[in-house]
Amino acid sequence: MQKEYDVIVIGGGITGAGTARDCAMRGLKTLLVERHDLTAGATGRNHGLLHSGARYAVTDQESARECIQENMTLRKIARHCVEETDGLFITLPEDDLAFQETFIDSCLRAGIRAEAIDPAEAIRLEPSVNKSLIGAVRVPDGAVDPFRMTVANVYDARLHGADVLKYHEVTAIVKEAGRVVGVEVYDAENRQKKTYRSRIVINAAGIWGHHIAQLAGATVNMFPAKGALLIFGHRVNNMVINRCRKPADADILVPGDTICLIGTTSSRVPYDEVDDMKVTPEEVDILLREGAKLAPELAQTRILRAYAGVRPLVAADNDPSGRSISRGIVCLDHETRDGIPGFITITGGKLMTYRLMAEWATDLACKKLGVDKKCQTAEICLPGSEQPASKRKSVTVDGLGAKAAHGRHGTRSSNIEINDKSDESLVCECEGVSVAEINYAIDELGASNILNLRRRTRLGMGTCQGELCACRAAGLLSKANGCARRSIEDLASFMNERWKGVYPVAWGDTLAEAQFTSWIYEGVCGLDTFEKKEE
Amino acid sequence: MKFDTIIIGGGLSGLTAGIELSRKGQKCLIVSSGQSALHFFSGSFELCALDDDPLKAIRSLDKEHPYSKIGLDNVRSLSAGVKPFFKEVGVLLNGDQERNHLRLTPLGAQKRAWLTLDEYVTLPSDGQMPWKKVAVFNVDGFMDFHTSYIAAALEAKGVQTVVKGISMPELEKLRHNPTEMRSTNIAKTLTGDKINTLAARINEYASDVDAVFLPAVVGLNGCSDVVRLKEKVDRPLHFIATLPPSVPGIRLQMMLKKHFQKLGGTYMLGDSVTGGVLENGRLRCISTQNHADTEFEADNFIIATGSFFSKGLVSDIDGVSEPVLGLDVISLEERPQWYRKNMFEAQPYMYFGLSTDASFHPVKDGTAVENLYAVGSVLGACNPLKEGSGAGIAILSALHVSSLILNESPVILNDSSVILNESPVILSDSPVILNDSPVILNDSSVILNEVKDL
Amino acid sequence: MSTKHNKIDTSFEQCMKCTVCTVYCPVVAVNPDYPGPKQAGPDGERYRLKNPLFYDEALDMCLNCKRCEVSCPSNVKIGDIIQSARLKYGKKKPSLRDFILANTDLMGSVATTMAPVVNFTLGLKPVKLVMDGVLGVDHHRTFPKYTGQKFETWFRRYALKKQEGYEKKVSYFHGCYANYNNPELAKDFVKIMNAIGYGVNLLEKEKCCGVALISNGFKEQAAKQAALNLSSIRKAVGRGEEVLTTSSTCTFTMRDEYEHILGIDNADVRDHISLATRFIYKLVDSGKVKLAFRKDYVKRIAYHTPCHMEKLGWSIYSTSLLRLIPGVDFRMLESQCCGIAGTYGFKKEHYRDSQKIGEGLFQQIRDCNVDMVATDCETCKWQIEMSAGVRVENPISIIADALDVEETIKLNK
Repeated sequence: MQKEYDVIVIGGGITGAGTARDCAMRGLKTLLVERHDLTAGATGRNHGLLHSGARYAVTDQESARECIQENMTLRKIARHCVEETDGLFITLPEDDLAFQETFIDSCLRAGIRAEAIDPAEAIRLEPSVNKSLIGAVRVPDGAVDPFRMTVANVYDARLHGADVLKYHEVTAIVKEAGRVVGVEVYDAENRQKKTYRSRIVINAAGIWGHHIAQLAGATVNMFPAKGALLIFGHRVNNMVINRCRKPADADILVPGDTICLIGTTSSRVPYDEVDDMKVTPEEVDILLREGAKLAPELAQTRILRAYAGVRPLVAADNDPSGRSISRGIVCLDHETRDGIPGFITITGGKLMTYRLMAEWATDLACKKLGVDKKCQTAEICLPGSEQPASKRKSVTVDGLGAKAAHGRHGTRSSNIEINDKSDESLVCECEGVSVAEINYAIDELGASNILNLRRRTRLGMGTCQGELCACRAAGLLSKANGCARRSIEDLASFMNERWKGVYPVAWGDTLAEAQFTSWIYEGVCGLDTFEKKEE
Repeated sequence: MKFDTIIIGGGLSGLTAGIELSRKGQKCLIVSSGQSALHFFSGSFELCALDDDPLKAIRSLDKEHPYSKIGLDNVRSLSAGVKPFFKEVGVLLNGDQERNHLRLTPLGAQKRAWLTLDEYVTLPSDGQMPWKKVAVFNVDGFMDFHTSYIAAALEAKGVQTVVKGISMPELEKLRHNPTEMRSTNIAKTLTGDKINTLAARINEYASDVDAVFLPAVVGLNGCSDVVRLKEKVDRPLHFIATLPPSVPGIRLQMMLKKHFQKLGGTYMLGDSVTGGVLENGRLRCISTQNHADTEFEADNFIIATGSFFSKGLVSDIDGVSEPVLGLDVISLEERPQWYRKNMFEAQPYMYFGLSTDASFHPVKDGTAVENLYAVGSVLGACNPLKEGSGAGIAILSALHVSSLILNESPVILNDSSVILNESPVILSDSPVILNDSPVILNDSSVILNEVKDL
Repeated sequence: MSTKHNKIDTSFEQCMKCTVCTVYCPVVAVNPDYPGPKQAGPDGERYRLKNPLFYDEALDMCLNCKRCEVSCPSNVKIGDIIQSARLKYGKKKPSLRDFILANTDLMGSVATTMAPVVNFTLGLKPVKLVMDGVLGVDHHRTFPKYTGQKFETWFRRYALKKQEGYEKKVSYFHGCYANYNNPELAKDFVKIMNAIGYGVNLLEKEKCCGVALISNGFKEQAAKQAALNLSSIRKAVGRGEEVLTTSSTCTFTMRDEYEHILGIDNADVRDHISLATRFIYKLVDSGKVKLAFRKDYVKRIAYHTPCHMEKLGWSIYSTSLLRLIPGVDFRMLESQCCGIAGTYGFKKEHYRDSQKIGEGLFQQIRDCNVDMVATDCETCKWQIEMSAGVRVENPISIIADALDVEETIKLNK
C-alpha cells in the first residue's frame, strides 16, 4: 500500500528543501522529489552571496526589504552556512559618484545599514580592493554556502519525518477529476516508474518548474536567464566587493570558504538549453575584465572553473511577452488561477529569500489542508547552527580536517565519527575532507556518488579539482556500496563533470593541472576505459 | 662554464640523452627546474599503444610525428637497445618492441605497454590471466590503491581473489598525520629489516595462491628492498602501480640521475634556464636563475623541458609559448579549439609542442637553431596520451638526437639544412601539422575547418 | 628601500598537488607529526587566508632547508610560505633559549672577550645539563668554541694595511662564525684573495645576517639587522666591490630571505652578494686568475652540499675548485640534509629528529672513508663532526692549505 502524503514538493534546490522543511515542521506528511541530486540546479550555481539587499535598493525596494529581513534571519538560523564578512560598494573613477547618495538613501529607506567610508579606510578593511576607488559604502553583505544550507534543510525535513527521493524525475502529474493527487516519477537507479499520491503538490523546481507546470496543465511564463561565474583559486578578498552603480555584468566579487567568485553575466537563453549551460569565451573575458576592476589581483589569480546557472524569471500573468519581469517571489495558487486544485507553484525569488518563499508556499498548502500551524522557520535554527550566537565559540578542534569539517557542518560536526587515526586521514587535501567526513556524508547526508560528496563536503572543489581525492573517494564509496565497477564509472563521470567546468578557463596553471590530471586518470589508471557512453 | 652538451630538463628524456652522451665521453650538464613527470610513472614504458604491434602502429602515424622524424628503421633499432640501456642503469625491464603486452592499472584496467619494470604485473596481449588464485594485499589506510578494483578485474577473468589488509606498528606511526599515508612515506617505512616482517605477514595469508599482488610501495631508494621482498615471499610477487607519487618512478629518476653523475655528468636541480644567446643561428650559451651572470656554453644544447605540467610549454589566455628560449610552438590560435568537451576525447592541446625540422632542431622565428635539439614531451605533433607513446618518444628521441650529436659531421649538417630550406611549412607555427594525424581527425571538425582555410 | 609586508606570496597557486615536495622533505621522513611541506605550505595557506585559526603550530618543525622548493616542478616557494606563516601566525613566543641561540653575534661578542671561561663552562657537564633542563638546549650538543681574538680585531691589527696595496678589491662579509668561532677561515680567505691579487675590505658595519633570528621568530630584529647590512653592502657595491662570504647560509639569507621572508627589497645589490668560492672559480674558469697548488697536498675529500647551498645551486663552484687540486681524491656525497639546520638541532625538542635526519648522510660519510669532508656551512660542519666523527673544513680553508702561495702570486702578477 503506497503511503499517502499531505504534500509532495518537487525540486531539491534550496526552495524545495526549505519548503519540505517548513511543511514537515508544521506536521505535514511530506515527500521531496528531485530528479538529480540536491542543489544540482541554480542553487548550486550562483554567487553564494548573502545579499544585504543593497543591490536592489535603488530599483526594487520590496526585494531589498525582503533581502535584509532574510539576511538577518539567516545569520541566526543558518549560522554555519553564513560568513559575516560585510560588503563594500565601491565607486571607481569611471562611475558617477553622485549615485552614491541615491544608493545610501535607498538602502536606509529599505532598512539596510549603509555607511559611506573613506576610500583609504576601504583599502585598509579590504586590501585587495582596487586602489583607485573614489568612494565606498559599507553594507551588511555576506557569504552563504547554498550547498550546506540546502543539505541542512533537507536533513531537518527528514528529522521531522519527511521522505526524500533523489534521482527521481517527475514524468507526470497525476490528476483525478481535475484535481492533482500525486506524481508519477522515474526512478533512474532502478529504472522504473512509480506513483506517489498526495493531497497537495508544490512545484518548487526553479526554471524546470515551467515544464512541471505544463505537466499539470498550467502555463507559467518563465524566462531562463543565464548567469555565468568564475571561481578563483583562493580567497583574494575577505569582504564582498560590489560596484556602486546600476547593477551590471560581473560586478560582484564574493569570498566563499577557501575561494572567491566573480559574477555574473546575464543573458536570456532558450528554454531547451537550460540543462546544458556552457560558459562562452566572451563571458569569461567579461568576467575577468570587470572582475579585475573590483580587485586587480584577480588578473593574476588562478581560475579554477567557470559555470553558469539559470535564474527562473517569471513574467507577470498579464504579460506573456516577459517584458515586465519580476525578481520578486511568485506564489501561484493554480486552483484559483487555472482551476487546478491541489497544485501550487512557488518560484521567482532568490537564494536569499528561500525561507520566505517556503513560508508562503507552506502557508498556502496549510490553508488548503485546513492545518492551522504557524511557520517557525525564522526562529528555529537549522541543524548545525543550533548554538545561540552569543556563545559561538571559536574553533577549538585540532587538525585541518576537523577544523574544516566544523566550518562545514557546524555543531553537527560532532556527529562525525572518528574511531581511529585512519578516519582522520585526508581524502581531499585541498579542502581538508577526512575519511570520517566522507563516511558521515554517505551515512547521514545521503551521498551515494562522488558528485553528492562534493556538494556535501567540498571534496574536489579545491585547487586540483579532484586530482587525487576523487579516486580516494571512489574507493570509499566502493567499500560502502560494494560495487567496484559502479564506483569507477562514477569516478569517470565525476572527472568529466569537473573538466566541463575547467576547460572554459584552462590556460596557465589550470591547463597544466588538467594535463596532469589526464595523465593520472587516463594514462596511469586507464579511467577512459570505464567511461559510460550512454550518459 | 663550458660543456660539450647542455641539456635543459632532467626528466626521463633529458637524463636518457645525458647518459647516452656521457657514455660516449661527452661532458654534459643537465639543468632541471624541479622533479620530473617520472613522479607519476605507471611502471611501464609505452612505445605505441594503438595496436598490439607497436611498430605497425607507428608506421601509420603522421609524417610530422616525432617517430616519423626518427624514422621507422631507427625506431626499431633504437628501441631494441632500450632494455640493455636501462640494465646498465640498474633497471630491469620486461617486454619488447615487436609486440605489446598488457599492464594492470590501479583501477584494474588493462593497458598496452612496451617495457614494464621487472617486478610489476604483466599480462600477455590477449589479456588472459595465467593464475587460478591470487592474493591482493594493501597497507591498511592507504587510499591511493584499492584492492577491490584489482579484485573485480581479476574475478571478471575468472581468477579467484583473496584480499587482505596489512598493518604493522611502524605503519601505524604514519597515521599520526592525516596526510602521511602516501606511497613514498610507506616506502620510507617499509625498508631494511621491516621487509622481513612484511614478507612474513604476506606469507601467512598467501600459502595457497599462485601469485601475490602488492601496490608499489616498496623500494624508494634502490632495488634492494624489492629484491629482498621477492626472495622472502614464498609465492611469485608482483607490484601494481598506485596513484602518484610513484615509488618506482622516483627510484628510476634517482637511479638515472646517479648513473649520469657517475658517468661524470653535472646535474643542477632546482634551477631554471632564464635565456640564451643566439649567434648566427646557433645557441652560444644559456644563463640560469641561480647563476645569473655565469654563462653556460656548449657545442650542442638539448631542450627536454616537458609539456605543460613540467612548464616546458606555458599558456595564458592568449596563447601557448615556450618559456625558456621563446621557440616556435605548434598550437591553435583560438582558445576554444584547444579542448573537447568530453575529457576522454583526444584533447587538441595535447598535440601542442615545439615545432622542429626533420632533425629535431627547434625553430625560432621561422629558422631552425642548428646546434639545438628538442626531445621528449616538449615535442609537438603527437598525442602521447592517446597514442600511448609518451615514454617511447621521450627515450627514442633522446637516443636519436644523441646519435645525431655524436655523429655530427659536415655532410649530415648540409643535408639537414637542405631540408630546412625546402620545407618552410614545417617550420612555421602552423596547424597543418595536425592535418594528417589520424587520431585527431576522427572527431575534430573544428581543426579540419581550420586546415581547409589555409 | 621599501618593505612589502602586506604582499601575499601567491606562488602557492601554482601548486599542482603532485606531492613531490613531501617526498624530499627530511622532516616528514623522520617525524610523521609534521604535516609535510605540501600541507604546511600551499594547502595550508589557502585555509590560513580564510581564517588564521587554521594555522598549525606543527609548522615549527620545518627546518627551512628549502629542499621542497628545489624539488618542486611548479616553482612554488613552499619554504618561504611556511616561514612567512610562522612569522605571521605563530603564537608561540620565542623563549630565552631561542633568544640566546638567535643572537649569534651578541653572544659571540660577549663570549669572545671571555673565551676561555665560556668555552670551559659550556663544556662542563653540569652546565650542559642545566642548559638542557632549563633552557632546552640539548645536552648532546657542544657549543662551537669561541676564539680569544675576533677576526675583525686580527684583521685591523695585522692585515688592514697590507690591503691598501691592491688595486682590485672585494668586500668581505665574514659572518658570526668566522668572526667569533673560526677566524682561521677568514684569514684563509684573505690569504687566497691576496694571492690572486685582490685586496680585502671589511664592510663598514656588519651584523649577523639574521638567519637564526628569522627561524626563531624575531622578525623585527632580523629586519633591522638586514637593513644595516644592506646599507653597508650598498656602500661597498657603490665602490665597485663584490661582497663575498664564506658561508652558504649567510649568502642565501642576504640574497633571498631578506626579500622573500622579511619583505626587504635587495634587488639592487642581490647579484653582488656572492660566495667566495663562486667568485674565485669564475675567475679561474674565465682564465683571469690561475691557481698553483702544493705537490705534497694529498687528501681524499668528500663534499657535502648544505641545504642552502643546494637551494643556491652553487655547489658546482666549490666542488670545481676542490677538483682543481691535483692531490685531491674527490668524492661527491649525495645531497642530503645533515639535520642541524642552524639552531634547530640545538633545541632539545628537535634533537632526536635532527640526528635521524642526518643519519643517511653520516652513513654515506662513514662508508666513503675520507680524510676530510668539505662543506660551505658552519652548522653542517658542527653536526657532521659531532655525528660522523670526521674533520670538516670549509673549501676556502682547504684551498688555502693546498695553495702554493708564492707560485700563485707569481702567476697572477
